[in-house]
Amino acid sequence: MTKTVLTIDDSRAIRDIVASTLKGAGYRIIEAANGAEGLQQMRSEPVSLVIVDLNMPVMNGFDFILNARKDPKGAGVPIVMLTTESKPELRAQGKAAGATGWLNKPFDADMLISVARKLVG
Amino acid sequence: MAINEPSDSAYVLETMDILDGLEAQLLDLEQDPNPDAIDAVFRALHTIKGGGGMFGYRTMAEFVHHFEDAFDKVRDGKLSVSSQLVNLALRARDHVIAMLNCGGDGPDATALANSTAAQQLLADLNGLLGAQTVGRVSEKPTKLWKITFKLAPNALLNGTRPDLLLAELASLGATQVTLDGAEVPPLEHLDPTLCHLGWTVLLNTTEPRAAIEDVFIFTDDAELEISEVVADTKADIVDTPQETLQNGEIDENAVRRPSKEIGGDFVRVSSVKLDEILDQLGELVIAQARLSQISAESHNPTLAGLVEEVERLVTGMREVTLSVRMLPIETVFGKFRRVVRDLSAELGKDVELATSGGETEIDKSVIDRLSEPLVHMIRNSIDHGIESADGRVAVGKPAQATVWLSAKQEAGDILISVRDDGAGLNTDAIRSKAIQRGLIAADATPSDLELHQLIFAPGFSTAQTISSVSGRGVGMDAVLTTIRALRGSLDVKSHAGRGTLVTLRIPLSLAIIDGLLVRQGAANYVIPLASVDECVEFDSAEHGRESGRTMLQIREHLVPFVDLTQAFNEPTSLERSRRVVIVKSEGLRLGLVVDDILGQNQTVIKALGPFHDAVDGFAGATILGDGSVALIIDVAKLARQVAIAHGALRRAAA
Amino acid sequence: MTTQLHIATDRQINAQAATAGTETALIMRLSGEAFGIAVGLVHEIMDPIPVTKVPNAPAFASGLINVRGAVVPVVDVRERLRMAPALPGPAARIVVLDVEVDAQLTRLAILADAVEEVIDIETSYTEPIPDMGAPWPEAYVRGVARNRGSIVVLLNPETLFRPDGGRSSNSESRT
Repeated sequence: MTKTVLTIDDSRAIRDIVASTLKGAGYRIIEAANGAEGLQQMRSEPVSLVIVDLNMPVMNGFDFILNARKDPKGAGVPIVMLTTESKPELRAQGKAAGATGWLNKPFDADMLISVARKLVG
Repeated sequence: MAINEPSDSAYVLETMDILDGLEAQLLDLEQDPNPDAIDAVFRALHTIKGGGGMFGYRTMAEFVHHFEDAFDKVRDGKLSVSSQLVNLALRARDHVIAMLNCGGDGPDATALANSTAAQQLLADLNGLLGAQTVGRVSEKPTKLWKITFKLAPNALLNGTRPDLLLAELASLGATQVTLDGAEVPPLEHLDPTLCHLGWTVLLNTTEPRAAIEDVFIFTDDAELEISEVVADTKADIVDTPQETLQNGEIDENAVRRPSKEIGGDFVRVSSVKLDEILDQLGELVIAQARLSQISAESHNPTLAGLVEEVERLVTGMREVTLSVRMLPIETVFGKFRRVVRDLSAELGKDVELATSGGETEIDKSVIDRLSEPLVHMIRNSIDHGIESADGRVAVGKPAQATVWLSAKQEAGDILISVRDDGAGLNTDAIRSKAIQRGLIAADATPSDLELHQLIFAPGFSTAQTISSVSGRGVGMDAVLTTIRALRGSLDVKSHAGRGTLVTLRIPLSLAIIDGLLVRQGAANYVIPLASVDECVEFDSAEHGRESGRTMLQIREHLVPFVDLTQAFNEPTSLERSRRVVIVKSEGLRLGLVVDDILGQNQTVIKALGPFHDAVDGFAGATILGDGSVALIIDVAKLARQVAIAHGALRRAAA
Repeated sequence: MTTQLHIATDRQINAQAATAGTETALIMRLSGEAFGIAVGLVHEIMDPIPVTKVPNAPAFASGLINVRGAVVPVVDVRERLRMAPALPGPAARIVVLDVEVDAQLTRLAILADAVEEVIDIETSYTEPIPDMGAPWPEAYVRGVARNRGSIVVLLNPETLFRPDGGRSSNSESRT
């Protein structure tokens, strides 16, 4: 079955790159611009992977992860946080909140696809 | 040395072609070492090396790599073209042909690579380069590793997939996996969401330790131990994914068997038999869905477990069966080189064909039906789009034109594009032809985009004279019909003076697709998942207005919507919280308003038959898990209907 | 007479019978009238199941059903024969037929109020439709036979199932 990836980022540019890269790798993409929208999307249809930025308005990445893990629809869904090289402590925080993995910005297509394959197949 | 005909694999044939041409290229290079000639040789070597790695000719690829390196240096001006270099290259070419004839990696290829002759060649090349050891082709040493890991209890809840970790380890080499279930509590105390399992994996690999550590990069909270096993006898480990020893013992001398060959044999299978297999598979998918449904309703855990196993097996079979029918599109691209060559000669134009994405795989039946439309599109490019050599030079273009043929996969579709750097569509000619045929009024001012679409009108051709190739009016409309019959779509973009790009989009599988199940009224429908962008709630999506019509506001865009009750001539829905499925088709985004979205399912497409073929809006029907029939919505047709009925709709950014 | 649930399609039986002067027909009831169709066309007889409506479909073929995993159109024979629609009763059955439509062997289904029996009809005893203003378009009917004193209307499978509606001739005039 086609796997669906939810990309949550307030930057349209990032969402577009993620979308086009992963579509080329055979995934289907749905988008959200902040954590709250992301939760809505996650509840409205099953997703195989979530890629979420940490820094967003309305609801940031951490809160999204915390809420997603509390929601029955979020249990067991791989969540990848987009992190920056300069703040490695955020990775541990994210992990504690329930994130599955991380991907440093800036990232290239190969890195994105390999993380997706690693977590989703 | 004569070029024999070894196996019939496409890679081998193509590489033989390249090697064929390489001899002439090298000789030409010797006479006139201009940058283009150097580049051509480099590219040829690069292609052979690249393909070799992918298709199981790694030993040969490593050998070629030395020469590719050398010619890279020539490109950079660090090495000059000398008779000596050309001689070495010619001798190396002979060697490569021999290695190609070996049939792939294995003892023969290695022997050839390590032979005195080959080593001498490399040594001589070394001498020319003044570089250090070029080296024997050696096998990378394999090491045996023992990896023990136990995930944190909340790992499963946090999205970690132990099966994928094990699969990733298996991709590094042969593995033997043992499960450690000692810490699983008794059933009455078991929390199934927590992970109590541990694994021990024996891995035979040439990869370094870092590659193994990489597998666990996200599970740094697991108990992980990686150690190298130094054994007296290096046992060959065989993948044993099913067999695990429950008591924790590991048998390091398990089985001695040679590792899997890369490359493999090929078998000829009749397409008819493949079709039969696919049909049966479709029936199996339907029957299994029904079984799953009944099992879900019966609350019998033993049955549920078995049914899940069956579902897993059927899904696996589906993937394998569909992949058996997939061929790389290169088999079609290859034919076009000749077409372009012949057409160029016939029409007196200098055209080169460049291809990319040839390794993209596509269903065999689709390939067969695509041949003609693609040839037609290429003909159009060469005949109409591309100017004469003089004409091109006059406007500052290189005398030689290029036609690019490329293929890539995107979600559930294949995208194939034909691009030329010619003059683009002649909008004036199109306009006058359209007026002449009564398609538009004489004083109408259609946009360029609209004019471009007119080339799809039946019998449309702007050719002044009928050549053997064009002007017969068997035009783009025939191409469009063929593509639509494959449930695909066509898009054309053109820039005056710069060229034209025609893109075909075809679904990967004609028979079985992933579908989104929706409910409207009392009936269920399936929307092909590949067309679905996203789903939103109807009420919460704000409404905006454009061209006097109500639209949905989705983030930055306004999206037109159609209520399925209207499209299906049914009474208005009384449900309060309805949903919108945003679909994309031929560049248009459209919202389909439905009562409810039920989920995804594997959809086996069944034809509608003679009584319903003429009904607009449905691409077929399928049988759901509960045994009922559900219609599959033809998104492209629906989108076109909406576009036609309501005039120009704003095209959303793709 | 008991209704067989599954009749093996055997065109041979019918073909032989036809040459010998008899034909075997399945008798179905629609609004009390008895209609016959060549038994060789019958694939099976099923209990009614829910029909999936096809939006915007012609009235004649408004739905689809699942027959052993195949998607089969349901043809509304009443509509063709200009009979009033009626709700199916407890004896209703779905008759699945294999007929030639547009030169292709097609499986389709019709809904009958009841399925009664299979009889042999002497072709020499078949009568043309009486000129009595019977409502059925004569194009769809081959003739009329007598079965133990009552009339059985023999349906013409070559015209009855044509998607384009065939000819809708006035039943009052006869050529």
